[in-house]
Amino acid sequence: MLIHWEVSDVYNDVLKDFLKKAFEKGLIEAVIAPAATDNSYTYALVTKKEDVDKLTPIAPVMQWNGADMIRRITRLKPAKRKTLAILRPCETRTYKELIKFNQINPENFYLLTYDCPGTIHARNYAYEQTPVDDLIKSMKEGKISEKVRESCRVCEYPTPIKGVGDIGFGIIGVDEPVFFSLSERGKDFLAKMEIQEGERDDSSWVEMHRKNREKWLEEKRITGGRKGIEKFLAQCMNCHNCKDMCPICFCKECFFEDHSVFDYESEKFYNWADDKNGIRLPTDKTLFHIGRLIHMGTSCIGCGLCQQACPVDIPLYRLFGIVGNDLQKVFDYKPGVNDDLPPVMEFREEEFEEFVGLKGGEE
Amino acid sequence: MSEKEFEPVIVGFFCNWCTSAAADLAGTSRLHYPANIRPIRVMCSSTVDPVYLIRALQEGADATILGGCHPGDCHYISGNYKARRRVVIVKTVLKSLGFDEDRVLLEWISGSEGPKFARVMNEYTEYIKKKGPSDFKYVDSLGGE
Ligand code: SF4
Ligand code: SF4
Ligand code: FES
Repeated sequence: MLIHWEVSDVYNDVLKDFLKKAFEKGLIEAVIAPAATDNSYTYALVTKKEDVDKLTPIAPVMQWNGADMIRRITRLKPAKRKTLAILRPCETRTYKELIKFNQINPENFYLLTYDCPGTIHARNYAYEQTPVDDLIKSMKEGKISEKVRESCRVCEYPTPIKGVGDIGFGIIGVDEPVFFSLSERGKDFLAKMEIQEGERDDSSWVEMHRKNREKWLEEKRITGGRKGIEKFLAQCMNCHNCKDMCPICFCKECFFEDHSVFDYESEKFYNWADDKNGIRLPTDKTLFHIGRLIHMGTSCIGCGLCQQACPVDIPLYRLFGIVGNDLQKVFDYKPGVNDDLPPVMEFREEEFEEFVGLKGGEE
Repeated sequence: MSEKEFEPVIVGFFCNWCTSAAADLAGTSRLHYPANIRPIRVMCSSTVDPVYLIRALQEGADATILGGCHPGDCHYISGNYKARRRVVIVKTVLKSLGFDEDRVLLEWISGSEGPKFARVMNEYTEYIKKKGPSDFKYVDSLGGE
């Protein structure tokens, strides 16, 4: 029988063979990649070749941001064992961003990333298990699956980029998948694996997403000041899940979790209620989101996990992605795609004078 | 009788080494500046988390001013450059959401610039008076239009 590349799980099989071979050659001593649970996928760390078959390197769901998992592993000490992590393009950009913030120690890590078909909302997947092959099939036909999350449909970089990660795995526009290097280390790795680097054309897949993105940026903006944001956040229960899932919100102590920052003597609340003709409680619901935008919006990488985490289905990526895009434009910064430092980590002596004074720096 | 004139509340976060000194100098030189300004002395413009600027707006301020040392003069070398980026961020977020970003003002006023201090405070107060009360204070309240 002729085996087509469309046949179930073939891409994951190729990747698992790749991992086993890398173990055999002593190129790696551990792998971080997704593994199936009952009706979802979590990240797993395996240290033996025999455990590779438990993995699903390309999963249909992204429960966590994998870069956040690497942060947890390396935040106290760098990894001693050579580890290959298989991450989605957005997670690979997060990885790069977190290295800049000194949150990840990349020592001994290799990153493999791939042409991403998008991911299904974890909750939707729990109700309807769609195999990743359906998503890949759709990608190969040049259609973004209806089932993937909003942030995936408007992803700016849905495929591997040079300099971000080490090894790329190309699926689009080729009958058989190809490996290619993204870094010198990746090149060396593939050479040692005796894999011939291949090519593929991902431009139409990228274009399709960018078109969606342009439209989305235009149409989904939250406008109207107080009324706009209050309407948008109407159902918010201030659970802070969005912040907990955000890989960029890595602070150990959060401004909005330290309740002493919001402790007031009781009279204050009554006075506000007098003054504002009634106040909503808690008083820091909207401020939490605006504060988060101010603190991390310049580095939002667009994984959309805030939106996936929201128990009341607020399409939060419209807030963080669109305001984040405005911020990133002002600083001419694209998080995780190159070696520029995040805007909150550097400054220039001569810049932004137009933001000083009422008339923009003029005396 | 005409309505009472709108008297805005403007919270000023003033660096100890420059703008606060300028405020003192304005005072001792008998330069008038409006009582609408509520000064808070901070050790450097960079010690003000940008969220405090919008928090002042929510708590009822009609505007906020962050006053720091001129570029090159920060007592802690680069605090004012960082403060400037933070103000860029706050203003961009406010604008992006459709709030009035002019209710956050950054000014460089050195300790010897008593007259500049008085002028900026007068001009900004006039400017905010013309704009009218801020809507931001009604965020998460039952009031407002
Ligand atoms: S704000 Fe949302 S989309 Fe942006 S990095 Fe955080 S979780 Fe991802
Ligand atoms: S996850 Fe949703 S409900 Fe929870 S704080 Fe964020 S926006 Fe509000
Ligand atoms: S000491 Fe004045 S701005 Fe830093």
